[in-house]
Amino acid sequence: MTLPRRVLCVITDEHSNPVELARMALQGGAGMVQLRRKTASGQELYEWAVRIQALCSEQQALFIVNDRVDIAMAVHADGVHLGQQDLPASAARALLAPDAIIGVSVSSATEAIKAAEEGASYIGVGHIFPTFSKDKPSEPLGTASIRPIGRAAQLPVIAIGGIGHDNAAEVIRAGASGIAVISAVSDSDDPETAARELVRRIRE
Amino acid sequence: MIVSSGGEHLSQKGLVLAQAQALARSAPVIFQVREKMLDSASMWRLCSQIAPLVDNSGSILTINERFDIALASKAGGVHLPESSCPADVVRKTARKLLAGQSVHSETAALKATSTGLDYLLFGPVFHTPSKEPFGPPQGLDRLREICEKVRIPVFAVGGITPEKVPACIECGAWGVAALTPFLDAGSLPETVNRFYSFMQS
Repeated sequence: MTLPRRVLCVITDEHSNPVELARMALQGGAGMVQLRRKTASGQELYEWAVRIQALCSEQQALFIVNDRVDIAMAVHADGVHLGQQDLPASAARALLAPDAIIGVSVSSATEAIKAAEEGASYIGVGHIFPTFSKDKPSEPLGTASIRPIGRAAQLPVIAIGGIGHDNAAEVIRAGASGIAVISAVSDSDDPETAARELVRRIRE
Repeated sequence: MIVSSGGEHLSQKGLVLAQAQALARSAPVIFQVREKMLDSASMWRLCSQIAPLVDNSGSILTINERFDIALASKAGGVHLPESSCPADVVRKTARKLLAGQSVHSETAALKATSTGLDYLLFGPVFHTPSKEPFGPPQGLDRLREICEKVRIPVFAVGGITPEKVPACIECGAWGVAALTPFLDAGSLPETVNRFYSFMQS
């Protein structure tokens, strides 16, 4: 499996029904859905993952699971996204299919190089802009960080953190292969339209 | 005998490591590691560190819920809480792992037996602070009913002391699981022996 260029990855939030959010995001043209719900039980995650995987297959979009490699294995997801506090990419690589998508969150070239050495398929670089989605004590990296971090790892970059309609195109121009958003879609009154608009901006 | 670590509110990596080391001097047990406060990376590092110790001691290491961490750290098994990824899916996905599940009702117990699991934990049989979230004690009569209806090994859990072991075995339990008696890692081998001596008498 390969990461599409100029992809919108919609990450589920902590409140919405993840299946409904995924459905609307996919209708809006998201090429990738990441199931992330830190407070959910394994049973809930599995049930959502089964349904989101089916929706993604219908739309030929990628489905990945945050942190829980077990859930990704259980539903034959396309891959996983791993934070710095999750299993190392090398361990996930040994458990998943050889062509599985493995993304790793990084915020420096050093972390990016390590992710590449451990077999990551892409790096999630962020946060690029100030964001309230996650508690981030550190300063935003800014768009200028995207190209050097991507080059250090020799991997596609999906930029994350504070990305919305107004700055999505700028992130792509700065060298990102795609963007990942949570609130820009999940907090919208109309997530489908929000996704569609983001896709339009990154493909301009 | 199942020795549980844990784990609701504070992480006790040091205790888990000390318990794993003490297993070298102990009769074989299933050592169930359940550290809810640890993130996946920390859990993986801890399990990878103790897996060879547990393996060399002749005991079996099982990891709570996360069969990915169990496989990645080369543990022997996975232990599923009631609200986990479905047992039949885990069984199919991680075939080589020993797989058990905690159940707190007859319905859940009967459902679990049709999924290919290796064993069940049923409880809490007696009162214990560590199992309060799982409801009031079920008692020995409930344990007996479950053991009669379930065809795979059932381990009694919840407030189990060595003195209470014979009553559980008499109800049909395959063994028992306990956490609190093993909080003193130094005396773990002696405590395990004491439990086993009550299983044979």
